[in-house]
Amino acid sequence: MRHFSEEELIAYHLRENPDEVVVSHHLESCTECADLSESIAETLRVFSADPVPQPDLEQNWRRLRGSLRVLTPEHRRDVGFSLRHWAWPAIGFATAALIVLTMLSVRVHRTNEIRRNIAVNGHGPLTTEPIDPAIANHLDAAERLLTEVNNSSGRLDNTTREQAHTLLLQNAVYVHDARDSGDLAGAAILENFGRVLTTLDNEPPTPHSIWRLRLEMNTSGLLLDIRILQQNDDRSQGVSQ
Amino acid sequence: MDKAEAEAIRDVLAGDRDAYRVLMDRHFCSVSRIAFRITGNEADAEEAAQEAFLRAYNKLPNFRQDSTFSTWIMRIAMNTAINLVERRMRDFSYYAPRIADEPSATEHTVRIADTQAGPEASLLHREAISLRQAAMAELTPMERTAFTLRHMEDVPMAEIAAALNVTSNSAKQAVFRAVSKLRRSLTPIAGGLR
Repeated sequence: MRHFSEEELIAYHLRENPDEVVVSHHLESCTECADLSESIAETLRVFSADPVPQPDLEQNWRRLRGSLRVLTPEHRRDVGFSLRHWAWPAIGFATAALIVLTMLSVRVHRTNEIRRNIAVNGHGPLTTEPIDPAIANHLDAAERLLTEVNNSSGRLDNTTREQAHTLLLQNAVYVHDARDSGDLAGAAILENFGRVLTTLDNEPPTPHSIWRLRLEMNTSGLLLDIRILQQNDDRSQGVSQ
Repeated sequence: MDKAEAEAIRDVLAGDRDAYRVLMDRHFCSVSRIAFRITGNEADAEEAAQEAFLRAYNKLPNFRQDSTFSTWIMRIAMNTAINLVERRMRDFSYYAPRIADEPSATEHTVRIADTQAGPEASLLHREAISLRQAAMAELTPMERTAFTLRHMEDVPMAEIAAALNVTSNSAKQAVFRAVSKLRRSLTPIAGGLR
């Protein structure tokens, strides 16, 4: 008898499993899967929807209206572009360097324990040691940014570029951590991601810059690598708990 | 797209700020609701909804009207709320009041009330809420968003994926990871990992 995995049963409870009838029949005869299924159902019940507070529309409109500028044709041009042309990359680079140096100098005092290496390609679980939970956020953010890069046409908006700037600072720290712990494969992937971020953060956006970035830095391949790192991260967390 | 909304957008682009009220009246509640699910508290939800509407207003000249305003604003709202949660995670002391003997609004201090030491049921209720909050805090912003939208708001996976700008499979995996993590977080109490 083939048992269903946790993932398949979660999909079943969220009505995302196409084999709903098969799963349902199996649960009637398999105690092991029925227990797991009940545990998932209980979790979903515990996290059922709470009531949502109603916002005060009038008050929110008054607050918002004060921030709205009148949109005229001249406002539609990207006025920030000329400013950014040389000044922002220089300021950004200097700030990034300063913050990274500060963070690295703090981290240098931490214990340099050698963790077991996590392979890039494979079918984990690949480590039993606890990992930094913040890396999961970083990898999620990296995935979203690379997806944006892979799917955008024309220039990236300012929010995405600001996000790239923030990620650049964090990424340097994770590259350093990965190298320190002997995770050379992970460090290499994050270094490649860092190159993408540096380009986004420093190069002035042009209509073709995203296309060039995708081709030169193989951002699709990098996205796949980041997803594999995420998978390694999930599996190592699952085993360690 | 709805005719009234298309007209409102045209008026805003022609310089009439008040025309934006039409769009806000129609969509602010649903945007605020989604933001509440993602941020988990009313103050942040309101801030995210406000920011989303402001960003949408500023981006309105670039809005391609081949999709609906509602889909577009939801997508902006989700990203804004996720970014806010990420910011809060970096600066977790942002809203934290300090405890003092006397509460003070200017000093942002509070006094812990001892008059509510009530019955056992109240204690258990508070404990359950705190366990749920702790479990949710373990999720990444993307996992939290995907999970709450799918499970609590019943948003189809394809819409979540489009809003998060990831593939449908990635959104699905984020939901699965979230449920799995929440289940493990509940291990100490009934219904957790058995």
